[in-house]
Amino acid sequence: MDNFFKKHALKLKAIALILMLVIPFFLYTAAMQGSIVQIKLLLALMIGTMLFVLKKG
Amino acid sequence: MTDVFIVKWIFAFSPILTVLVLMIFKNWSGSRAGAAGWFVSLIIATLIFGAHPELIAHSQMKGILLSLNVLYIIWAALFLYHVVNETGAIRAIGIGIQRFSGDKSIQILIFGWIFASFLQGVAGYGVPIAVVAPLLVALGFSPVVSVAVPAIGHSWSVTFGSMGASFQALMAVSGLESSYLAPWSAALLGVATFLCGIFAVYAYDGWKMVKHSLMAILIIGTTMAGTQYILSVSGMWTLGGFGASLAGLCSGLAVAKLKIYNQTPPSQTQPEMGLWWALAAYFILIVIVSTGVMIPAVNAFLGQAKLSFAFPEIISLKGWVVAAGPGKAINIFGHGGALLFYSSVISFFVYLAKGFYKPQAIKTILQKTVKSGVPTSLGIVSMVCFAMIMDHCQMIYILAEGISRVFGSIYPLVAPWIGLLGAFMTGSNTNSNVVFGVLQQETAHLAGLSAALILAAQTTGGALGSMIAPAKILVGCSTVGLAGKEGPVLKTTLRYGLVITGIIGIITALASFII
Repeated sequence: MDNFFKKHALKLKAIALILMLVIPFFLYTAAMQGSIVQIKLLLALMIGTMLFVLKKG
Repeated sequence: MTDVFIVKWIFAFSPILTVLVLMIFKNWSGSRAGAAGWFVSLIIATLIFGAHPELIAHSQMKGILLSLNVLYIIWAALFLYHVVNETGAIRAIGIGIQRFSGDKSIQILIFGWIFASFLQGVAGYGVPIAVVAPLLVALGFSPVVSVAVPAIGHSWSVTFGSMGASFQALMAVSGLESSYLAPWSAALLGVATFLCGIFAVYAYDGWKMVKHSLMAILIIGTTMAGTQYILSVSGMWTLGGFGASLAGLCSGLAVAKLKIYNQTPPSQTQPEMGLWWALAAYFILIVIVSTGVMIPAVNAFLGQAKLSFAFPEIISLKGWVVAAGPGKAINIFGHGGALLFYSSVISFFVYLAKGFYKPQAIKTILQKTVKSGVPTSLGIVSMVCFAMIMDHCQMIYILAEGISRVFGSIYPLVAPWIGLLGAFMTGSNTNSNVVFGVLQQETAHLAGLSAALILAAQTTGGALGSMIAPAKILVGCSTVGLAGKEGPVLKTTLRYGLVITGIIGIITALASFII
């Protein structure tokens, strides 16, 4: 697993960056529609992305 | 102050403290520490300050709009730097300068003060120290001096360098216009220009050398500080650091021809590329940015497409109200980053047509840009996002209120130190402005001080923090064989960084009595 992270470190970080930049747009749309379920799901995805950055960033 | 307020203040400070501790004592990268700060702010905001999912959602969207404004410039600046560097132009510029003077003080000033600032103007993110330190070693300076001198020398140009990314961040988080922020920022950074020049020379050989180079420092410093001020207040702040150092380069080369500085014969090394061709990309940049900013018809044409979002009023569960309004708009084709990108593409084709690139150069340029851009961007996005959570839950307001109650009228003395601390902990003036910009603005408001002056002190302190930021010192040391022996360099830059910041604090305090 560690080897996989080392080999693809830059690609994985780039994916994390894209997710960090894109998820808030969906969060905004969900918040404007008042859909709490969607917001919570997207926040969970955001937390997952931040967790990856925290571990491997 | 009541006990409850102190406890709330400590909770509000905990995300910032987390970032500080992780970066300073645990040597974490900005991106990892930023993510940790994001988690702490999310937990504290939810448990203590009444954040709810909708509030977090809106704060993150506002954070991304702020981040994109900064990232646009950072990525375009990195792309331009690699487009130029891949031709060997940066090395050619270094050799070209070296052929003008054999005087050690002039070499220190031209390389460690002016050329390092020029590199900050076009690239930043540790490039000035990484490029200049090996050049100074090659000229016979000790490795410690070779890293310390550009670290001290380039700091004044950080805010308006990198195409003004740090200043852009300050405008973005404060919501204030460049016309309001630029005059005081450029004035305090102007003072820092002279101080950085003086201490860069002092770090090499003490007061005797400062006395020998005083005339050069006065002429070149006036040129750079003056040019930076004029460009910044006239709306061309993206070119503030770059234009100032380019003007400084011209005046430095002229000063090098003065009799007192021309008693040792200069180097006769011939560069592989002519100086004018090496500088071609930057002339293209000047033309494009000037056209985009100063010609109203072009400016209006490019400014037609803007990415903008409207936000409703948001109330936390504790009753803190964030007013409804638009988020930070992104001018897609007229943004400073867009102008940089046009310049990069044109420069690439010019150099390609002249045959300066090796085969597959574009692939290398893109790879290097992504490699350096991704970690920086992760750090900025995570820090901006946690700063926005704090802002939407009254945390920054509570921090500001506490500081203004403790320091009151002497707060201007403290303001640059907060900026310095931010840059020290995050390795970036931009991040410092993002994390502490709103806090400083709120404190200025509560203490009845000019926000323009306090934010100028913040960004000046943040710029000066670049010389003591471990992240940048590490980069410089790795290029001159001092990896693992960063202590003596940090000790040198820390000493002068603290003195210069202290002087800026006194000037800010004096200015606060006048305005």
